[in-house]
Amino acid sequence: MSATVKTIERKGSSLREKLYLIEIAKGMATTFGHLFRNLKDNRKLYVRHYPEVQPEIPARWRGRQRLTTHEDGTVKCVACFMCQTNCPANCIMIEAGERLDGKAEKMPVKFNIDLLECIYCGYCVEACPLDAIRMDTGIFSVTDNNRDSFVLGLKELLATPGAYSEEEYKKGGA
Amino acid sequence: MSLLDYFMIALRVSFSAFIPLCFVAVCVWMERRGAGYFQDRSGPNRANICGFRAAGLVQNLSDGIKLAFKEDMISDHIKHKFFFVIAPVIVFFTAVVSFAVVPYADTLILGDSSYLMQGIPVDLGILWFLALAGFSVYGIILAGWSSSNKYGILGGLRSAAQVISYEIPMGLALVSLLVVYGTVNLNEIAQFQGKLLFGFIPMWGAILQPLSMIIFIIAAFAECNRTPFDLAEGESEIVAGFHVEYSAMKFAVFFLGEYVAMFASSAIIITLFFGGYQVPFLSTDSLIRYAKPIAFLLMITLPLFMYFFAGWIRRSNISHYPRENDPRVFEATIYIKCFWGLIVLLELILLVILFCESGGSAAAIFVALLQVCTFLLKVTMMIFVYIWVRWTIPRFRYDQLQKLGWQVLLPLALLNIFITSAVVVALS
Repeated sequence: MSATVKTIERKGSSLREKLYLIEIAKGMATTFGHLFRNLKDNRKLYVRHYPEVQPEIPARWRGRQRLTTHEDGTVKCVACFMCQTNCPANCIMIEAGERLDGKAEKMPVKFNIDLLECIYCGYCVEACPLDAIRMDTGIFSVTDNNRDSFVLGLKELLATPGAYSEEEYKKGGA
Repeated sequence: MSLLDYFMIALRVSFSAFIPLCFVAVCVWMERRGAGYFQDRSGPNRANICGFRAAGLVQNLSDGIKLAFKEDMISDHIKHKFFFVIAPVIVFFTAVVSFAVVPYADTLILGDSSYLMQGIPVDLGILWFLALAGFSVYGIILAGWSSSNKYGILGGLRSAAQVISYEIPMGLALVSLLVVYGTVNLNEIAQFQGKLLFGFIPMWGAILQPLSMIIFIIAAFAECNRTPFDLAEGESEIVAGFHVEYSAMKFAVFFLGEYVAMFASSAIIITLFFGGYQVPFLSTDSLIRYAKPIAFLLMITLPLFMYFFAGWIRRSNISHYPRENDPRVFEATIYIKCFWGLIVLLELILLVILFCESGGSAAAIFVALLQVCTFLLKVTMMIFVYIWVRWTIPRFRYDQLQKLGWQVLLPLALLNIFITSAVVVALS
């Protein structure tokens, strides 16, 4: 089997191109066109006015994590350590405890995610057998000015609602 | 010497020294906003004082404050601290001083005495500029060498090689130009360009010597270390070249020097090829003779221009997302009021000209101011060309740069000298 060889024509060898100045003038006409268009009407700039105008985040987008709950508000997580074992960045730290409400045998007492370590790969979501952890909050910008506030606890993870409806999330392929 | 003489000396020197420095702010602003608009983005426009952004000019202020208050460090590995510190000073000083011989208005005649409107009234003219522009590269070489850094020394060496290969075509392009003008004095060159060719074309260097103009402008770009010839900086291959070890105010002085050099070389290009301070089609004599009609014409056109400018401000200075009581609309209103105030002031000055005796010192001063404005307008346009080229053309490779200098520009400049000399000899 012979490889297909495609010869690409090299540009820049004709006399007109070698004179440089004509081609430079053409290029400068193009850039000036852009400047003139934008000066005339600066709404045509390809710019999102970011802090005020937020981008649209699709449902498949992996944002900050959250823990889901049963309908009565109790945590779905059974502290099986699947996500912690699977995490390539070692950012999940779970501490298991006994569960007394009859839903399961175990529940997390502590569930910490270090966002400074997290690489947002989504393996924790894949690994979870009970759909207890999701990345559908739509939060993409996590900022603060001290390291401690980047370690999310059980309370914060449970408090954040999902940004999408159940149908939308399921359509996303989860 | 009378009091007026002292005042005029102070005025001329301070104009030559401070106008390039003031223009640095305008240049940086034009560069950054212009770069944005060339590339369909908006450039820095968020910095503000009490909500007033001044179209992004406030960003310059904050950058300046940042650079001034940053820690000024010299790394321990730098052995020659004296040369390290003196290098940016050389770049900056030569750039400022090279502007000193450029005339920004025709010789001002007040009563019996006449004043050359340039910083240093010497006859050296273009020779002074060539000498100092060549000297500024010493600053870059010294900076690169004394940084004790491989990137730095590569940048310095590149700059040295580049200057050697571009000074020669630049000098040769000037020879043919000086053959035409018959003088090195920049004021006489500018006066020469006030004449008309065949009675209707301004006798500018660009029309008499187009080839020389192209060679000179290319060489001037290389001389200023601007793209497409910014190999000394070359941030993609040698990090930042000669100023890689510089921080804070020492870096800022390099930065200022670069922009002042850009201003000075724009001024020289304008003076040599685009008529200097001359208003097209109107020589100094006819300007003084027709001072009143010109003042009247200006009085009509200025508000007309301002009307359209105000409309443009109103359209551009708005938030591009839904916002209640848009503060930028209020901002635009304030700007428009300020500009109208400026126009009213100018109208009053022009009115004074209208009521003064014709041909007197008032008319002479008015003409000088008009020529200063023309000069600054032309220089701004040339600076715009510098910026325009920078955001259009990618950087040359090193061998391409040398090839262009030695194998293309040098023979062309020599050919131009032969043709020009033949024509000049045939005509005389």
